[in-house]
Amino acid sequence: MLGFLVGEALRDLRRAGRVAISAIVLITLSLAALGGFWLVSSNLGRAVAQWRDRVRIVVYLKREPSAPEAVLGRVRAIPGVSGVTYIAKADALRALKQVLGKDASVVDHLPANPLPASLEVTPSATAATPEGARDLVGRLAALPEADEVAGSADWIERLSQWQRLLATIGLGVGAVLAVAAILTVTTATTLILHARRHETEIMRLVGAPESAIRLPLLLQGMMQGLAGAVLALIALMAGYSLVAPRLEPLVNLTLGIPDLEFFSPFGILTLLGAGTLLGGLGGWLARARREP
Amino acid sequence: MIEVHRVSKVYSVGPVKVPALREVSFRVSKGEFVVLSGASGAGKTTLLRLLYRDDRPSEGDIEVLGHDLVPMRRSQVATLRRSIGIVFQDAKLLPVRTVYENIAFVLRVLGAPRRELTARVFDALRVVGLSSRAQAYPAQLSQGEAQRAALARAIVRRPPLLLADEPTGNLDDAMAAEIVDVLKDIGAGGTTIVLATHQARLARALHRRTITLDGGRVVKDEG
Repeated sequence: MLGFLVGEALRDLRRAGRVAISAIVLITLSLAALGGFWLVSSNLGRAVAQWRDRVRIVVYLKREPSAPEAVLGRVRAIPGVSGVTYIAKADALRALKQVLGKDASVVDHLPANPLPASLEVTPSATAATPEGARDLVGRLAALPEADEVAGSADWIERLSQWQRLLATIGLGVGAVLAVAAILTVTTATTLILHARRHETEIMRLVGAPESAIRLPLLLQGMMQGLAGAVLALIALMAGYSLVAPRLEPLVNLTLGIPDLEFFSPFGILTLLGAGTLLGGLGGWLARARREP
Repeated sequence: MIEVHRVSKVYSVGPVKVPALREVSFRVSKGEFVVLSGASGAGKTTLLRLLYRDDRPSEGDIEVLGHDLVPMRRSQVATLRRSIGIVFQDAKLLPVRTVYENIAFVLRVLGAPRRELTARVFDALRVVGLSSRAQAYPAQLSQGEAQRAALARAIVRRPPLLLADEPTGNLDDAMAAEIVDVLKDIGAGGTTIVLATHQARLARALHRRTITLDGGRVVKDEG
């Protein structure tokens, strides 16, 4: 029976002809737009998450404390502090030498270590937001040992806002195209309903179950949706394999992520499912609008 | 098999009430071949439509194959129709399918196993004498052949009841005689047949029980 229903759905698709092709193209466009924005947004999201983990606030100390553990204890007790590391003047100098690499010998000519001791504070998740980070900076600046406090999460938040904006644009464009796709599938299905009215009449006369009458309509809509989703995926894969190798060095440098990721298997299934759902919805709407 | 009791049917055309059937009563036993005779507009088609539950009577009761049709829900109609073969004046063949496919279509929508299709379709085609035209499209058939194909489609499920609404209406005498012979053969196999026709000569020539309708009333039930 399933074979028959699928066969009827395919026959219906052939009948819908150009309208069905238009519907498939629109579904392809809507899912490609949605998927494209989703890809950019998810990669930007990876960068944001990575940078959120790396937010550090540095408290430069007036002088090297004689008992760093006591200062560390007080800092750990401050709300919004997830962790703190003491960096002695000597450690800071060693780090500078490492950064300088082959030019490290220049440090040896300094009359004294000019670098201050510092505390590297890791904010908790709630303090990694711009407001949270600002509050934490204020609390750290109030420490009697603090000379200067550096660090904020503002730019990460801006990056995050860009990511959200891209996701919203993607959803908006995708939604508009999706509505157009649904309406086109509905039109294609309405044409099919008209073309298959004789079959429907015969089916009802011989006592065919409602499922045999209605399922091919739903199936052909789902097939249009699935075909559109597969084409969108192919387009996105082609775009990704073309663009990713060229963009990766740039995003590595600017965003600090080593590579650009394509969809996970779950993402691919979601896109295919979304296409199938769009098409099915179009088919169902036509059937509901004009009962055969 | 069929029990029609004091059935009336009135159509409303705006404020105007048009009676199509008035207090029609009759019984048809299993295996009977009954002719519904009467001029155009006598109520034959309306009566047949009530028998396959395409419409409900305004008054009265109808029982077909043990089903009480008046209170029958829409979802139950399909079950009733699976036991009834129906043919019309217009053969209603699907133009884009061959004769074989038209008949097999009915079996497929009812979920018949694919391996049984060929044998069952050709059995039906043999009964109507159309085996050699299995691969022809409806446009390639004469009207008589098209009607025989429609008959094959109606009997391929071996229904106990066959309703035929003017199946010879579009045919010349020779072709009509062929269809009548096929119907007689089908009836001889035990199928109950109700044949509606406005052709009084055909009704008489059949020598079967004839219920004559006039103005929506049964005016004669003889034979």
